[in-house]
Amino acid sequence: MLELADYTFYFLAALVLISGIAVITAQNPIFSALWLALTMIGVAGIFVSLDAWFVAGVQLIVYAGAVMVLFVMVIMLFDLRHEIHAFSRGILSGFLKLASAGIVLGLIVGTVYRSAETVFAPPPVETDKMADVTKALANTLFTKYIFSFEVIGVLLLVIAIGAVTLSRIRGGTHASHD
Amino acid sequence: MPAMTEALLKVSLNHYLVLSAILFTLGMLGVLLRKNVIVILMSIELMLNAVNITFIAFSRYSGNIDGQVMVFFVMTIAAAEAAVGLALAVLIFKRFKEVNIRYFEHLRG
Amino acid sequence: MGVDAFETTINVAKMFVIFLMMVQAVPVLVWLERRGSAFIQNRFGPNRVGPLGLMQLLADAVKFLFKEEFLPKKAVAFLYYAAPVIALVPGALALASIPLGPPIEVAAFEMLGRQMGPYVFKLQGYDIGIGIVFILGVSSLGAYGLLMAGWGSASKYSLLGALRASAQMISYELALSLSLVGILLVYGTFNFYEIIAQQQGPLRFMFWGKENVISWLPNWGVFFNPVGMILFAASTFAEANRLPFDLPEAEGELVAGFHTEYGGFKMLMFFIGEYGHMIVASALLATFYFGGYGIPFVSPANIETFFHAQGFGLTAASALTALVSHLALLVKVALFLWVFIWVRWTLPRFRYDQLMDLGWKSMLPWALANVVVTAVWLLVANTK
Repeated sequence: MLELADYTFYFLAALVLISGIAVITAQNPIFSALWLALTMIGVAGIFVSLDAWFVAGVQLIVYAGAVMVLFVMVIMLFDLRHEIHAFSRGILSGFLKLASAGIVLGLIVGTVYRSAETVFAPPPVETDKMADVTKALANTLFTKYIFSFEVIGVLLLVIAIGAVTLSRIRGGTHASHD
Repeated sequence: MPAMTEALLKVSLNHYLVLSAILFTLGMLGVLLRKNVIVILMSIELMLNAVNITFIAFSRYSGNIDGQVMVFFVMTIAAAEAAVGLALAVLIFKRFKEVNIRYFEHLRG
Repeated sequence: MGVDAFETTINVAKMFVIFLMMVQAVPVLVWLERRGSAFIQNRFGPNRVGPLGLMQLLADAVKFLFKEEFLPKKAVAFLYYAAPVIALVPGALALASIPLGPPIEVAAFEMLGRQMGPYVFKLQGYDIGIGIVFILGVSSLGAYGLLMAGWGSASKYSLLGALRASAQMISYELALSLSLVGILLVYGTFNFYEIIAQQQGPLRFMFWGKENVISWLPNWGVFFNPVGMILFAASTFAEANRLPFDLPEAEGELVAGFHTEYGGFKMLMFFIGEYGHMIVASALLATFYFGGYGIPFVSPANIETFFHAQGFGLTAASALTALVSHLALLVKVALFLWVFIWVRWTLPRFRYDQLMDLGWKSMLPWALANVVVTAVWLLVANTK
């Protein structure tokens, strides 16, 4: 018997897949970015359906709230209205690319369905234990993975310095002042 | 026959994995087929999101919280990658007035 | 949701009522804004239509409804029409997850020959355990409405306004989130009900493992985290695009910013979105730093015993308690809304580079320092 949770999953999966297809087929990059934002929101919904509330919130804040707004902002700055050559040309190479993507998909799905067992029932998590899940998450992050956490911090510092350096390089309209 | 269809439709771990696989393939197609650097960056974000779904699904169905921690790391990397990628795209746009991927041939260390 | 049809119906109706509360508050706020600005600038303001000019709201609404519908040339129709609706969403979603009063207990009763209840209804659209993260998540979606309006209406002024808005929102969201970390450290929970429950009674705090009580102060978050409160309030001004941070619609430079090309009811929807942001910000300020729906020194349990003593039944006493607590929250929210209006007509606008400098070079370091100081203080306070 299908339950409400199953229908929710199918709705969210349809949302994610339709907006995902729209991301790679939209001619105008700004629509790509807006569809991708919708995909992110759908993925956050899928996280909620898997009881990962905190990660879903972070997904909304980081992806939908910051990264995608950055994308939209840059595209608006460029004022890219219409793209004449949105897709790469060449019939043979295009066919090869589609075929390789199909092979990858087939391999993954085939492996998943030939797997030894189908896991239906997840271990039960009471909803009022949500705060405990968040606490367990924090405990794991700051004990078992503390080294990775520090490394990520250093990486972010490097990235920040790199981005600032890149944006300070003068070029294009400023080239004459060099 | 209806019983079998229902067994197929009942959501299990496999459904999440297949959804993630399709989303990953979509991202891969975007990287292969599009020429706009920014759309390619967005397709990479799609692929990373597909991986995140896999992590969370496995974490939920195996009752192990480590998968969620991995998702945090993936998100951090994705944000960092977007920042540097967009900075590069802005540079390319400043010089060539277009963000076609073929201009990345001109990158020099 | 609910166990039976009655409970589900009430819970769905609750969401509509809370959304309508937000929409209905806007005309009153517009009136307050115009009368308040007139009071501050020593003029009269709207005072012709109805008593105190209160009917002006109705006249304005009718005027907005009957304005001509138009689409600017070269505008992207879908984005142009969708943007005002999207601008409404974050405020409505966020307001629905803030508790507006203590839960109402309904004793078992009989209706249409069937035994119903007992029920507990929360005075809240929906209870999400990770309230704070949810609020931050949905309010970060607010930039999309502005961006879509700016791009979709194909005007340079709109685009500039939208670009300013998105940069400003990303920058100030950092300070906003970090200023809430202090509150998270003090109360150790994401749940609004638990945060409010911990703010009841007189001010009590630990120092070197010894409990101290200051009986003449309420146990509010603002006394534990004053810097966080100031940072939070300041960054909500930026998030709601209010003066002194209303660069996205600076009328001296950008005509009207992202809503230059909008008129009539669509423009009104942007207004509702902006005032919705203000209402959410005021309710959050009250919840985190000023005891939420709690009345200082009086706990909801005390009010309920008082009503029991007056001879009310369980359901009536519970409902009256919720009503009184809700009124307390409304008073606090109204005060903060007045501060929003007061500041708007008192302070001048920042220049854009000053705004960015303030966000990144002053507020972010202060918020970080606030987190560190709060953590150290908590460590010192709880060490025996």
